[in-house]
Amino acid sequence: MLSASERLHLILDGEKADRPPCICPGGMMNMVTVGLQDEISVFFPDAHYDAEKMAALAKAVYDKGFFENYGVPFCMTVEAEAMGAEVTMGRKEIEPHVTDYAFDDVHDYKQVKPMDLNAGRAKTVIDSIKILHSYGDDVPIVGNLVGPVSVASSVMEATRFYKQLRKERELSHEYMEFITHELIRFGVAQVEAGADIIAIADPSGTGEIMGPAPFEEYAVPYIEKLQKACQDAGARTIVHICGQMHSVYDKIAKISSNALSFDAIVPLKEARENLPGRVIMGNVSTFAIELKDPDKVRTLTKACIRNGSDIVSPACGLGMGSPSENVRAVLEAVKAESA
Amino acid sequence: MAASKEEMIEKLYECVVEMEDEDVVDVCNEYLEAGYSAYDGIMDGLVAGMNKASELYDEEEYFVTDVLLCSDALYAGLDVLRPKLEASDMDGDSKKVVIGVVEGDTHDIGKNLVKIMLETAGFEMYDLGRDVPLDAYVEKAKEVDADIVAMSTLMTTTMGGMRTVVEKLEEAGIRDRVKVMVGGSPISRKFADEIGAEGYSVNAVEAVKVAKELVGIE
Repeated sequence: MLSASERLHLILDGEKADRPPCICPGGMMNMVTVGLQDEISVFFPDAHYDAEKMAALAKAVYDKGFFENYGVPFCMTVEAEAMGAEVTMGRKEIEPHVTDYAFDDVHDYKQVKPMDLNAGRAKTVIDSIKILHSYGDDVPIVGNLVGPVSVASSVMEATRFYKQLRKERELSHEYMEFITHELIRFGVAQVEAGADIIAIADPSGTGEIMGPAPFEEYAVPYIEKLQKACQDAGARTIVHICGQMHSVYDKIAKISSNALSFDAIVPLKEARENLPGRVIMGNVSTFAIELKDPDKVRTLTKACIRNGSDIVSPACGLGMGSPSENVRAVLEAVKAESA
Repeated sequence: MAASKEEMIEKLYECVVEMEDEDVVDVCNEYLEAGYSAYDGIMDGLVAGMNKASELYDEEEYFVTDVLLCSDALYAGLDVLRPKLEASDMDGDSKKVVIGVVEGDTHDIGKNLVKIMLETAGFEMYDLGRDVPLDAYVEKAKEVDADIVAMSTLMTTTMGGMRTVVEKLEEAGIRDRVKVMVGGSPISRKFADEIGAEGYSVNAVEAVKVAKELVGIE
């Protein structure tokens, strides 16, 4: 029998395994629910800035039968905060989120400070990966990065950001280069700390929001540059793209991550047909996990596998109030389906 | 020779569709100087242009960013023409919508889009912004005697808050007076049904149709 780490690595390398792995990376695709916090009495918001607690929750995700991986952090604000955005840490049932931007006009992007990887929550994430790595067990460790467009539009006022992509192209590219460079530093530091896999999610950089041409111009090349740098540092990569894909499949194909992940709106069969030869991750409805029952979740999970999911995962971040028995039903169904 | 009213209105329309947020101001001023009706300029020029932009958005010719740029031109034009409206142009009984992004989420572009579209369609908008505490919807709805409460989120992690707002509207005893609309990428018709929201729309254009149906316009 393969270990969780062996199985995931085989699949990410395009090889066969005994069954699909069942993971939830963390980051935007957060898997730490209120139920899990209660189960081990380690809580948000403390776990967002305490490496021991962050590692404890990440470990509980595996130990308590949620998913077959460790993953940190549990939000998508670490990078933006380090570059000057104001962030509230939220509560037990509300994730951290950006409340104010660092600046409003791309002409001022040079005032943005580089990420300090030796301080704040960037350090917390790196330290918690070191702790998870020190266990030396066979559970894959996923480090997470927020994608370049999403970070850029969290550090800078978002509406203006999108508009200036059209009107200030040269400066916008300079700004995107800067953001991507910072993300690469953070990603490589996570790999050096012991992350086996880097997952990148860019929910604000979608074809639906930007349109296919700007998506190709501003999202794809910087995501590719970022994921490639993480691969070069020794990690496998997963890139999660939000929203409808039909207008941008040919553009997504240019992202050479080890796996591509899609949200629930994308039929996996369609993704398979449009992205031949790619490792596809997805996409059990998080709506069902939060509001339905374990039976329904099992049915959906089995459908995912039948429709060609190479790596079974929730389609997005778990609702904080998702019942633990529903979350566990995903992994149970994956195991049952291949028993 | 001065341009005819129709030609000027066509120019206003084009400024919005073509996202000309600077030119539109000059055209509006010219239009007023020629003595034409501010109301017609708004409705047949600017608003018609915005409606065209939403049509293009619906057809996937335009995307979110394009529509936002069109709305910049719309608002720039409105700033010039609105102060010149006659008292008789004001329609006193427009329907009221309280709108916001639910607590835990700050992604407000989709919400802003819906707000623009509804405003263009003649609704009176009360924008609570983003990361809105759940009680604030109820308080505002009571205060302005709202016809619709509209909520959006882009994050699956926070969509549970929408259900809480529906419950809070009931507790406050005003549930039967307001319709609830929800939207945002993780939201579905099924989810709306589940939490007892009357309205769901997949995008900002449809939101206008849904809102009109809910309050019985057309």
